[in-house]
Amino acid sequence: MEQTAASDSKTSRRHFLDMVLGASALGWLVSVAYPIIRYLKPLPQTGPTGPTHLTRDETAKLEQNKFVIVPVSGQRVIVLQSQDEVFAFSAKCSHEGCTVTYLPGQSVIWCPCHDGRFDMNGRVLSGPPPKPLTKYLAQRQPDGGIVISEERT
Amino acid sequence: MPIGTHWMGWYYLGGITMFFFVVQVITGVLLLMYFQPGEATAYESIRFLTTKVPFGWLIRSMHSWSAHLMIISLTLHMFSTMMLKAYRPPREMTWVSGYLLFLLTLGFGFSGYLLPWNKLAYFATTVGTNIVASVPILGHWLLQVLRGGQDVTINTLYRFFAAHVVILPLAFVGLIGLHLLLIQRQGMAPPVGATAAPRGMKFFPSFALRDLLLWLGGLMLLLTLTVFLPYGPGIPGMDWELGEKANPMAPAYPGIKPEWYFLWEYQLLKEFPPHLFGLEGPQMCLLMIGLLFGIWAIIPWLDRRAYRNQYSQTFSDFGWAAILFLIFLTLAGWDIGSSGATSELASTHNVARVCALWTLAAGVAITIVRYFLYEHRWFVLTGAALLHVALHGLAGLSYLVAGTISLAAAAFIGATMRLLRSRSSGNQT
Repeated sequence: MEQTAASDSKTSRRHFLDMVLGASALGWLVSVAYPIIRYLKPLPQTGPTGPTHLTRDETAKLEQNKFVIVPVSGQRVIVLQSQDEVFAFSAKCSHEGCTVTYLPGQSVIWCPCHDGRFDMNGRVLSGPPPKPLTKYLAQRQPDGGIVISEERT
Repeated sequence: MPIGTHWMGWYYLGGITMFFFVVQVITGVLLLMYFQPGEATAYESIRFLTTKVPFGWLIRSMHSWSAHLMIISLTLHMFSTMMLKAYRPPREMTWVSGYLLFLLTLGFGFSGYLLPWNKLAYFATTVGTNIVASVPILGHWLLQVLRGGQDVTINTLYRFFAAHVVILPLAFVGLIGLHLLLIQRQGMAPPVGATAAPRGMKFFPSFALRDLLLWLGGLMLLLTLTVFLPYGPGIPGMDWELGEKANPMAPAYPGIKPEWYFLWEYQLLKEFPPHLFGLEGPQMCLLMIGLLFGIWAIIPWLDRRAYRNQYSQTFSDFGWAAILFLIFLTLAGWDIGSSGATSELASTHNVARVCALWTLAAGVAITIVRYFLYEHRWFVLTGAALLHVALHGLAGLSYLVAGTISLAAAAFIGATMRLLRSRSSGNQT
């Protein structure tokens, strides 16, 4: 009788020590892992945000190729010209993120990576992209310059 | 080293893979002495290396060729191990460690591809990393950690550089140690069903010297290819011309392709529709690829006959079906048969038809060899793989619909055959 009580108290003491050891090992692991995980997660991008004016070079490219890709608030945006109208969409294909291009002859925005096609409203015409391209606001200024901004809906 | 009536050639594929890895380490360290990661230096340092540094082109070309040869020999090694059932107990862990080494090798290929910071590398990495965004819950976080930001930037190159030259090599060397230790301890696998202790060959010096001879052969092959085709054979996905520098503000260009060993995944991504069963196409595709890789990893535990040292025809057939599946997707990823088409749609149909015909031809040839030479009598899964490409390429069904029909047919026939067999064996007893 006495012996079992003694062994009981012994196992519970051992059990308690095991628990303490396990918890501190876990705590140690977390304290090592957390800084590494935080270290690996990149900082938010910094840079100019808000409406973007096309530079003279970019406007010239637009005139020449009927499209140009410019950074707007850290995102790639494709600006296209079709019958004197200017459109702007996210240049990141909604499928796997390749940069799209514009086929002026067919009035189609095309992603060469997996052959996704979008119309002049950014909607998917054919291919694997699951979502339309995000639309941006493209405005011609009275002085002929072009301003691209995120569309507020 | 068991010697027997079986052909010994398969036993050397692991050794030659190891040789190409040693070449990778040596040429890699040499490349490291000139490579400068950085926005304004990565591309420029590689250009300097190949155009100005004496024999710089040689070292870079050897590194590229050896990478491709390593992947070829490793793939052959893996499939021969699979077909000869060398994963039978007690060698399950050898299979798993080899499988992990295979994944690491793909990781080497993928991370090394970005380092020259050229246009092709930029888009290949954009697509390749974007696939992890389809992982549920963790996807976005993983993508950021992998890329070092929202998009592929020079920060991505820094991370890939660290992975390519430190993290992956350390993991690789550790796993190779385990793989070789297991092989040294357990010896190489004897043929299935061998009951008597096979006649043996000593690893040292008999096998090691033979291996050394093959290594010399491998070096000769590597040097010949390097000298005569320093920028690769010029096949899309196997060519390392430096090209233009990466420019995030440039659009992707037509004919863009990943490396040949990623072509099947690339083609599979194209075959998935935008939405399927409430998930997005890329998510379903990732799920399917994950499932296939998962099944491949646990083959030693799935093949119940292997435990009894019996030959499983089903698993041999599964291996061949996997090869036919890869052949079709790789050929289609290469746009075989697209020339001469008048429109985009006609070209897609042409590619599917021509690639299906090639795959069927390969399937028939493989089946004849298996039937007469190896006396295989179980062809349900290869049959399904061939039905799949025939329905897709010749009858014009979509890739996924054709695949579902073929899988259902295979499951039905397999179940019926099993039922008939159990009945007939029941009658006998």
